[in-house]
Amino acid sequence: MDLQKYLSLFVAEAGEHLAGYGRDLVQLEQAARDGGAVQGTIDSLFRHAHSVKGMAASMQLEGIGALAHKAEDLVDVFRKDPARLDGEAVDVLLAAGDALQAMVEAAASGAKPPADPALVARLVEAARRSRERCVQPAQPAKEPARAAADGAAEGAATGREPAKGAGGSGAAAAPAPPEPDPGTARRGAEAPQARTLRRVQLDVEIAASCPIPAVRAFLVVKKLAALGTVARSVPSVEELRAGRVPGKKLQVLLETSEPLRSVERALGQISDLAGVALGEAAPERPAAGPAPAAAAREARSAEPARTVRVKTELLDTFLDAVGELILATARIREVGRSLPAAQRPLLDEGVDRLGAIVKDLHDKVMAVRMTPLALVTEQLPRAARDIARKVNKQVEVEIHGAEIEIDRAILEELSDPLLHVLRNAIDHGVEAPHLRLLAGKPATGRVTLQARRERDRVIVEISDDGKGMDATRLRAAAVARGALTEEQAAALSEREALLLCCLPGVSTAEAVTDLSGRGVGMDAVKRAIEGLGGTLEIESARGAGSRFTFRLPLTVAVQPVLLVRVGEEVLGLPIAKVHGAAQVELSRLDRSRGGPVLPYGGDLVPVHDLTRLLGFAAAPAKDERAVVVAEADAGRIGLAVDALLGQQDAVLKALGSPLEDVPGLSAVTVLGNGRPVFILDVQRLVAA
Amino acid sequence: MAELASEAAATRPGERTGDAPARHVVFRVAGERYALPLEAVREVVPPQPPFARVPRASEAVRGVMNLRGRVVAVVDLAALVGLAPQPLAEGVGHVVILDQDRRTLGFLVGAVAGVEPLAPPAEGGAGLVRGVTAARAGAVTVLGAAALMDAAVALFGGR
Amino acid sequence: MPKRVLIVDDAIFMRNMIKDIFSGSGFEVVGEAANGLEAVEKYRELKPDLTTMDIVMPFKSGIEATREIVKQDARAVVVMCSALGQESLVMEAIEAGASDFIVKPFKSEDVLSVVKKVLGDA
Repeated sequence: MDLQKYLSLFVAEAGEHLAGYGRDLVQLEQAARDGGAVQGTIDSLFRHAHSVKGMAASMQLEGIGALAHKAEDLVDVFRKDPARLDGEAVDVLLAAGDALQAMVEAAASGAKPPADPALVARLVEAARRSRERCVQPAQPAKEPARAAADGAAEGAATGREPAKGAGGSGAAAAPAPPEPDPGTARRGAEAPQARTLRRVQLDVEIAASCPIPAVRAFLVVKKLAALGTVARSVPSVEELRAGRVPGKKLQVLLETSEPLRSVERALGQISDLAGVALGEAAPERPAAGPAPAAAAREARSAEPARTVRVKTELLDTFLDAVGELILATARIREVGRSLPAAQRPLLDEGVDRLGAIVKDLHDKVMAVRMTPLALVTEQLPRAARDIARKVNKQVEVEIHGAEIEIDRAILEELSDPLLHVLRNAIDHGVEAPHLRLLAGKPATGRVTLQARRERDRVIVEISDDGKGMDATRLRAAAVARGALTEEQAAALSEREALLLCCLPGVSTAEAVTDLSGRGVGMDAVKRAIEGLGGTLEIESARGAGSRFTFRLPLTVAVQPVLLVRVGEEVLGLPIAKVHGAAQVELSRLDRSRGGPVLPYGGDLVPVHDLTRLLGFAAAPAKDERAVVVAEADAGRIGLAVDALLGQQDAVLKALGSPLEDVPGLSAVTVLGNGRPVFILDVQRLVAA
Repeated sequence: MAELASEAAATRPGERTGDAPARHVVFRVAGERYALPLEAVREVVPPQPPFARVPRASEAVRGVMNLRGRVVAVVDLAALVGLAPQPLAEGVGHVVILDQDRRTLGFLVGAVAGVEPLAPPAEGGAGLVRGVTAARAGAVTVLGAAALMDAAVALFGGR
Repeated sequence: MPKRVLIVDDAIFMRNMIKDIFSGSGFEVVGEAANGLEAVEKYRELKPDLTTMDIVMPFKSGIEATREIVKQDARAVVVMCSALGQESLVMEAIEAGASDFIVKPFKSEDVLSVVKKVLGDA
């Protein structure tokens, strides 16, 4: 591979990182003087060193890589315990930064500079010395030069004392009360003991095997909150809600009148905890707690944004590779089941670890794939103008929240639905200018796209101030098309009735224009949004306008599917669409309109033979079949299959051309044994 | 087959239009000899079971297989050139992977003879069959990659 | 005295699977419900020691059902059965009073370990 073409990029980016590295070090010194927070800065410093190391390694610049690696090692010691940071360490890190910058510059002119062995030795020595300092039980005597740095670090480490007791490096402690370290014990003795509010500091580590550690941590916080007041939680409840729990570690400061034993017992009832350490914190430490966390967050957000351009195809290959890793892990797990019981725990432990690492990698790859909505929304104002001109209307488009990020794969699928809804809004929502004036509205209509993040969803609303939709007419249109009986139509709520515009062939447009209103389109919009794992909602007020709301997942999440077998083939149905299942003898079912019907939940559900729907040549099937009851737009349907194979979480892949042209398919996944399995689109399957 | 892939990658940039002999992948389908321009071929792999059938697609679509995490549909090349169908099974024949305009498809062929430079066919047709030209072991029919892709994609559009 | 379990899930096969996990492991499955409405009724009637609750169900979600059950009986032990990608729903359920959760696809050992812990038997 010709690395030369990446050289200028490397030089530029390594330069950025080294600049950040220098900035962080200076900030650390400052914090040492002023007693500010350091953890966030140390993390950032670590990332810079780590990035330079990785980049240099891929450029085969071993010298730079080696020096950056040693710097990273040293920073890592402080990352785990900022209290070990001292002035000497900052000095040697600064020297390393300067040397790295000089080496990068030399690399820019084609050299391959070696690392200065003396400097490497200084870094190694500093790391060794810092590591040793923590083993000493008492606070080491402070040299005047270090005193300032130590003081600051101590501020940041306050409330983390028990972590030290538990090993500091995250070593799991059994859920028994840890040996209090001398510091804690002393402070504990000073604290008023009986019948007062205790401040209990808890350090909890979530088991690596837990698939949703943030929820686990959330549960811990909620259970603790039942025992008293959670004065502080790192990560905060908001961060946990957003799914963030870095390092699977949680720290909680609990104010409670319960004895420690009760707290322990409550935690003992929670599964998936790899380690719990708790101890009483000093009674009076106001502000010292929350402040460092907040400051660290601030420091992180203040960091200048850096971007690297990566081909999107490359991101896809990452995701594919991670998908393969997930499969390979599942395969190993399967093979492990055939091992003698005595050997399994060891393998299982390894596989669990591997699984957790791969999951983490999956999360990271997903994070890299996040792309701002602006990529698709910025075309909308222009498109709106073109559409409006065609139908002689005046429209203004406003876009809010375009900076919100969403998985690239979802973004790509969003472009058509957004355009379609926009087109509908202008074509049949917004009135002609003279009609608007008559209705007391400004001549120019307004279409607003508002995006926002809500927990793990992205909400996109497209609203217009046009004439609104007529649910009564939609009901009538659906009845006219034979999609619903009059009674069924009458029983629908307003919202449900508005969704009827998504049935193929139903539209309220008075005139069929060449833009829209031919009853095609909204069904495609609904299908596309649901295909992404999202939902569509429509609200409308006569005379005031309509609002279309897309609720979308942030990422192409793993989705649960029900696997079924027909003949030799395995297919998947999205669990979200599956209502239930029954085992029946087809010949004993009643028949209606030429087909069998299954009595289900008080209804008669038409049963289709899935083999036939898929166009597979039907081998004479047994009369006894399983019927999956699934949700289609016009009601429930039954799908007769040969066997139910069970539920599985599937990493869905887009079909891509030309498979996406096949009606009735929504995605494809690959099972643990490598078998590709199509995920069916129930609605299109029966409609086509 | 790894060398095929890397050669393909090395020659892909730039369309070949001149009269110079271009490198082609030469293979057999139902006993007949065919060739595809190397620059259009991403790689040649053995069929990778297990396969899944594609619903509602033509019989010529033999199924999909998992190619290192990508799910690729495999079309029987024999069906596209009017020959007797070949089975898709482990250890039988090869799958030639073509990649064009963000579409990826595998084409089921028999034995692969190798890569050799071929003079452009005399007739110079523009469709699926570009014409016949001389190769080391006798005459081969040269196929057009884009036309082949189009013909194969048409097999998926439902019925 | 085996612990009495109520299984709530709208999918029959999921109920069967969970039933199989509990049967023969020192639990007695005393009832099943296919939606949130049924769940609340069955809970009132059976007063089980443990309820496993699916989240997304017709008529009344598992979250709503949990909220009502816990309101009825503050000592109710409700374990949510969730799938990956439902993190925020599980958190809602926890706020509604769920005692713990398990994530599909689950191994029977995991299910048993979680419920034994949450019942304080581990």
